[in-house]
Amino acid sequence: MFEFFKLNRQILGMNCRNLEYIRPFNRSRAKKLADNKLLSKKILKKNNISVPKLLAKISSLQELENFNWQSLPESFALKPNRGFGGEGILVVYGKKKDINDTWIKADRTLISIEDLKTHIRNILDGSFSLSGTPDIAFFEERLQLLKLFKPYCYKGIPDIRVIVFNKVPLMAMLRLPTKASSGKANLQQGAIGVGIDIATGTTTTAVLGKNKMIDYIPGTRLLLSGIKIPYWNDILKLSVRAQEISNLGFLGADIAIDKINGPTIIELNARPGLSIQIANLSGLKRRLEKVKDLKIKTIEKGVRVGKDLFGGEIEEELEEISGRRVIGTVEKVKLIGKDGQEIEVEAKIDTGAYSTSIDVELAKQLGFEDVLNYFSTLDLPKDFSREEVKQIEEDLRKKYIGQHSDLADITAVYSSHGVSIRPKISLKIILDNIEIFTQVNITERKELNKEMIIGKKNLGKFLIDVNK
Amino acid sequence: MQTSPIIDFFLHQGVPFETVILILMLPIIATFIAFLRQVVGIKAFGIYAPLIVTFAFLATNGLKYGIAIFVTVIFTGMLMRFVLKPFRLLYLPRVALMLTAVAILILGVLVIGGEFRRTGLAAVSIFPILIMITIVEKFVAVQIEKGDLAAIKLAIETLIISIVGFFIASSHTLINFLALYPWIVLLTIPINIMLGKWTGLRVSEYFRFHKIMKNL
Repeated sequence: MFEFFKLNRQILGMNCRNLEYIRPFNRSRAKKLADNKLLSKKILKKNNISVPKLLAKISSLQELENFNWQSLPESFALKPNRGFGGEGILVVYGKKKDINDTWIKADRTLISIEDLKTHIRNILDGSFSLSGTPDIAFFEERLQLLKLFKPYCYKGIPDIRVIVFNKVPLMAMLRLPTKASSGKANLQQGAIGVGIDIATGTTTTAVLGKNKMIDYIPGTRLLLSGIKIPYWNDILKLSVRAQEISNLGFLGADIAIDKINGPTIIELNARPGLSIQIANLSGLKRRLEKVKDLKIKTIEKGVRVGKDLFGGEIEEELEEISGRRVIGTVEKVKLIGKDGQEIEVEAKIDTGAYSTSIDVELAKQLGFEDVLNYFSTLDLPKDFSREEVKQIEEDLRKKYIGQHSDLADITAVYSSHGVSIRPKISLKIILDNIEIFTQVNITERKELNKEMIIGKKNLGKFLIDVNK
Repeated sequence: MQTSPIIDFFLHQGVPFETVILILMLPIIATFIAFLRQVVGIKAFGIYAPLIVTFAFLATNGLKYGIAIFVTVIFTGMLMRFVLKPFRLLYLPRVALMLTAVAILILGVLVIGGEFRRTGLAAVSIFPILIMITIVEKFVAVQIEKGDLAAIKLAIETLIISIVGFFIASSHTLINFLALYPWIVLLTIPINIMLGKWTGLRVSEYFRFHKIMKNL
C-alpha cells in the first residue's frame, strides 16, 4: 500500500498531466501551433531552427489535379498536416528506374502517382485527422539516417523525444522504429523506447511497445543501453529553444538527427505521452515539481539545470564500479598556494601530457615568484639535441636542486615547440574533491587557452569522459 | 410504491413513471462512467457511447438481445474493415458502406431470431437498434487512429460498462430509492466536480507503471 503511495507521488498520470500541466501551461494558441505541422515548421524555420525542408503542399483537389509530379525528388515523405500518432505518413525511398513516375516505399513495394493521389485525397478529406475535418497534405524532404543508428532501426528514422518544462529538459528517450511499428517511431505502434541519461546522452533502459522491458533489439545481440547519442548538448538546447519559440510550457519535442543538417526538429507535441517514464524507469512528477518554481533566463542555464538535477545516474554507477571519479576534459581545479591561498582555475585535462604544468603568472599568484626569479638567473643550455637531454637534466639537477627551497626539480619537457627546460615546484591541488600532492612544472602559457594542464601522472584516480 | 411529491407532480402532469426514472438515471450512469474513466482508467468510446448503449440495453427486451445486437455491430465493423481495405475509400463513404453492411446483418439477425422463435429479438423496437448501429462510426474512427486491437479493446470496455450500467439502472432498490428521494441526483454535481479535480494515478496506471516501482 505504501508503495502505491510512492508511485502516486512520483509518476505523472493522465489526470495530473491534463489538469496540472497541459491545461495551465499549454495555451490553446500554442497547442494550435503544435497541432499544425506546416505552421510550426514555418515558425521554427523563421527562428533559424533546422526542420525538414518543405517540398510542396496540396490543399485542394484542384491543386492535386494540377500538381507537377516531376517536381518531386527521388525520396520524400508525404504527411497530413494535422495527423496524429504517425498515421497517414507515407515515405518513399527512391524512384523506380525503368518505370516512369513510380516510387519505392520502405517495404520495397511500388507506388504510382495514382496511389499517391488516392492517399492525398484521403488526407484532404480528413481521414487522418480524428475530428474528420478537411486537411492539407504536404511533401517534405526525407531525413538521412545516421550511420550510428543504422543497425538499430527497422527502416524509418529514429527520433529523440525530449520533455521540456519551464525551460528545463526533464526526460528524454530514443525511439527506434521496429518491424511491428512498420518503420514508425511511435511506441503505441510497437516501436522501442530507450531511456536516455540527461547528463551524458547515453541510453539506459529500454521498453518495447507499451510495457515490455528489453535489453537487446529483439532477435539480435545488439545491446540497447550505452548508446551515445551524438550532438547531445545541441539536442537539449534545441528542445529548450523550441519551447521558447512555441510557448508550450509543457512540451514534447521530437528531434531527429539528419546526416547532413544534424539535429532537426520534426514535430512539437502539446500532449506528450507518458510511456517515456517506463523507458527511463523513472517518474516525471517529481521532476516537474522540482523545476516548477525555478526562474530560468537562458537556454544554457536550463540545460545545465536539467543535467545537474536529472542526470548522472550512469556516471555514479561507473564511479561505483571502477572506484574512480569521472571528469571531463576541462575541470575546475583548486590550487593551494605557498601561504595557503586558494586559487580556482579551469584546467585542461590532457592525457597527451605526462606531467602537470601551470602558467608563470599563476605560479606568481601562488607565491612562487621568488623561485621563478631565481630560476631565470640560472645558466641554462640553449641548443642541444635529443640525445643530450637526459645528461643535461641530470647535470642541472646536481647543480641547482637544494639551492632554493621552493625548487623541487628541474625537468626537460617535450612539447610541440620542442624541448624546454622548466622548474618544478611542489603543489597541493584539489580536483573533483580529491587532494593531490604533486610536482608541477611552470611554463609560459599565456598564449594558450587554459592556465593549467593536468597530465597523466596525476590522473590515475580518474576516468575521463570527453563529452562532459 | 411510495413516491416523492415532485414525482407525484410529474406523474400528475402526464409524464410516464418509466420516463421520469430513466431521465433521473442519466446523470447517475454518466457519473459512473466518468468515475470509471478518471479513477479506474477504463476508457471505452468516450462517455456518450457507453451511456447511449446502456439506455439502448434498457430499451431492448432483455439484456441478451442488446448484447447480441452490439456484438453484431462490432463484428461487422471489423469484418468490413478488411473487406473495404483494398478499395481505399474516403472516410465518409466508407462509414456509409459499413452502416449498410451493419443494417443488412442486423436484419439477418432479426430474421434468424424469428426463425428460432426468439420473438423477443424481433420485437426489439427500432430506436435502440439504430442507436447501436451508430456506434460503428466510433469504432471505425478508433480503428483508423489506434488500430484494430485498440478498437476491439475499447469496444469490449464499452460493452462491459454498458452491461454494468444496465444493472445499475434496472436495480429495483435504486429505482425505488430515486422515486422516494429524487433530489439525490443532485449529489452527482459535487461528485463530478471532485472527479474533475482528481489528479491521482488511475488504477490502470498502477498496472501500467508498476515496473518503475522497483526502481524508485
